[in-house]
Amino acid sequence: MTRRDVLRSGAAAFLSPLAGASEPQNLSYPLREIQGSLTPSDLFFVRDHFSEPTLSLESWQLRIEGRIARPHQVSFSDLLELPTKKLEAVLECSGNSPHGSAASNAQWEGVPISFLLEPAEIGRDAAFVAFEGVDTGRLVQGPAALPYTQIVPLEKCLDSASLVAFKLNDLFLPRRNGFPARALFPGWYAMDSVKWLRRIVVLGRDDRHSSFIESGMDRVYNRITTAADGIETKRLSSIQVKSAIAWPPDKMRLAAGLCEIWGFAWTGTGTVREVAVSSDGGRTWEPASFTPSPGPYRWVRWNYKWSASAGDYSLMSRATDSQGNQQPLQRSTARKDGYELNWCAPLTCSVR
Amino acid sequence: MSLIGARRSPAACASLFALAVSVSMHAGDCPSSTVNPQAAQRRLDELGKNAQVEMAQHRFTEAVRDFKEAACLSSRDPRIFYALGSSEAAAGDFMSARKALATADHLQPGNPLPLVMLARVNVSMGDVDSLKATLSEAAVRFAANSDLHAALAHFLLQNKLFDLALAEALRSQKAGGATPQSTMDLAILENNVGAYTDAIRNAMAIEGQTNLPVAVRASAAGVAGLSYESAGQPEPAISRLRAAIQLDPSQENSYLALAFLLDKAHRYAEAVEVLEQGRAKLPQSTPLLLPLGSDLILSERYAAGIDVLKELLRKMPNEYDAYIKLADAFRKTGASIQEVKILHELGSRNPDYPGIHLLLARATLNLDPVDYTKTLDELALAEKRSPLEAEIFYLRGRAYLATNHSEEAVAALRRAIELGPMDPGPYYQLARLYEKLGQKEMARNTFARMRYLKSNAAQ
Repeated sequence: MTRRDVLRSGAAAFLSPLAGASEPQNLSYPLREIQGSLTPSDLFFVRDHFSEPTLSLESWQLRIEGRIARPHQVSFSDLLELPTKKLEAVLECSGNSPHGSAASNAQWEGVPISFLLEPAEIGRDAAFVAFEGVDTGRLVQGPAALPYTQIVPLEKCLDSASLVAFKLNDLFLPRRNGFPARALFPGWYAMDSVKWLRRIVVLGRDDRHSSFIESGMDRVYNRITTAADGIETKRLSSIQVKSAIAWPPDKMRLAAGLCEIWGFAWTGTGTVREVAVSSDGGRTWEPASFTPSPGPYRWVRWNYKWSASAGDYSLMSRATDSQGNQQPLQRSTARKDGYELNWCAPLTCSVR
Repeated sequence: MSLIGARRSPAACASLFALAVSVSMHAGDCPSSTVNPQAAQRRLDELGKNAQVEMAQHRFTEAVRDFKEAACLSSRDPRIFYALGSSEAAAGDFMSARKALATADHLQPGNPLPLVMLARVNVSMGDVDSLKATLSEAAVRFAANSDLHAALAHFLLQNKLFDLALAEALRSQKAGGATPQSTMDLAILENNVGAYTDAIRNAMAIEGQTNLPVAVRASAAGVAGLSYESAGQPEPAISRLRAAIQLDPSQENSYLALAFLLDKAHRYAEAVEVLEQGRAKLPQSTPLLLPLGSDLILSERYAAGIDVLKELLRKMPNEYDAYIKLADAFRKTGASIQEVKILHELGSRNPDYPGIHLLLARATLNLDPVDYTKTLDELALAEKRSPLEAEIFYLRGRAYLATNHSEEAVAALRRAIELGPMDPGPYYQLARLYEKLGQKEMARNTFARMRYLKSNAAQ
């Protein structure tokens, strides 16, 4: 055995420099560090609400209860021995800035949530499902820490792409990404893909879920818009079509000549249909090429060969999806929240 | 009991149902006979003896024939169907083996052996879905049988089915009858999947059992060390690996892993000490030589490093990375001729070694005097392999610049800039060239671009 083999055996290793962190983590890495179209596990963004828990595989259990005929528990062994599904999907933080790197694309593997719910006989009155993590805290003042909880419509949970995921890029989830298992809702903003999952509760249309309400989670992740008749509030769900420029970074100085502008584009509805690039602040647009071929849930890597002469430029990219959704050129003034930041924000660069 | 353990995918359910009805199918396959019970028993005994001999002699097809006849004579005997399934599996007829084993399981549901054999057959067939269904069935019916799950875990581990091995090792642990072997298996698997706290706990439990052989305890200390390292705790990791060496100094892996951790912490002198200790205990070990040579060089003990790497190459001339380390040592000691020589040797042994011609071109530029023809030859070969590597054109530009081939130098440096527009190096060389050619405006602009790009880093 060579030293390389020895180290490979300790492999999964060396990915998690922040293991042991007790404070909530907020980590992301420049998109330009990604080669190809998958985000490596160690560059996958992290947005924690509460401190990361340390879990034992030997004692981890996922409880499934609520409006089902047969509540039950699933061990990690059960998950591993159930039929699994693999898919490539983007997760994006709903508060990710226009060119921000709180978006990552990975190959996931897990058990479809429907495999866990359907044999337990879902009640006719079921409408939503609450997902609870092991991490606890609260967003508003109150006496006790509560588990991180999100509520997702039953219909989305029964979609065959919605998983209890335990692998990311063919390796078990890193601790900071939800080890040993997390929810995964491809096409939806990441807050619903609850990490360190421990409990799934099937709810009726009017059921209150205490940890969701009392922790203040119901007051965040809402789209708030001013309308003619007042304020409209709607829970966030599908990822809005978006593209980000990975290279060049903002305020970059470039030498005149052929320059490559590249980045990623994604959408939660359908597939990415086209990406266009502007170097004059959105007055004119040129099509970018992209790889791999677009597919649901995953992003594409686009690039544009730009023949740059001396001057100061405002670079923008704009994606359109197969449903006809296109990135807006500006943030709507009707929006009163800080989510779904998908407008075509310009980056500047100067060429000499 | 887990509901999920009992539940299977529709496909798996269908296949198990099909297998379970195989009792009647076997009955249908038998010729009608009117043999009296005594004669049938005599024939059964005879078939049993024959089949045993045939199995021992690896005459599996004949054994299958005999067990089939026996199954017809005694269609409710689970042992015969188990033996039939085993012989069919040995003969490579996995589909029939599955049917016979499912029948054995159906006839004697309290015996786990048919399911174990069924799992083995599914592994041989590479049928992971059916394997999962079999394991889930075993989990439901034999949840408390720790030995069964430990044996399955070990078998799956040997077959590199790590996820399922982990599942079974966890089941064994949960059932409460863990053995040192099963606990070690679990610790290794937990380390691999990132359950470092669990792996450390299990490995250290083994390490602490003084009644166990030191080799086992040393391996456990090694696993704990790797898990600590992966959990971002280098000091306990180093401490566990030192303990592993102390417990069993004959385990090469412990020296290698500890030296790696010390390297990561830039503690090269300590890494050398560990590897030399390993070498003293294991004088025939060659895997220790490459890191030892490398660490000696990193500790600036060049002569010793060169000796070790030369010894390694005498023993293992295809250890290509050793040539690179050796070339590095020669460069650092100003022995440019030897650097070029050793890279040539690598190139002749492995002409496909990544970047070999670029390495050679770089090395030739350190010779005094420089043979620019050779440099350019190597760069031409490098370009054939990697036509988009900017450094090739940068070095070519430098070579042409040094030999007063200005036009070629300009072309090469411009190409380098095209391929690597953010690297200030080629701009600097090009600016110097323009200066030399008296093109002051071009030189000024190019110097300005170089400074402009450099200022990105300063921002």
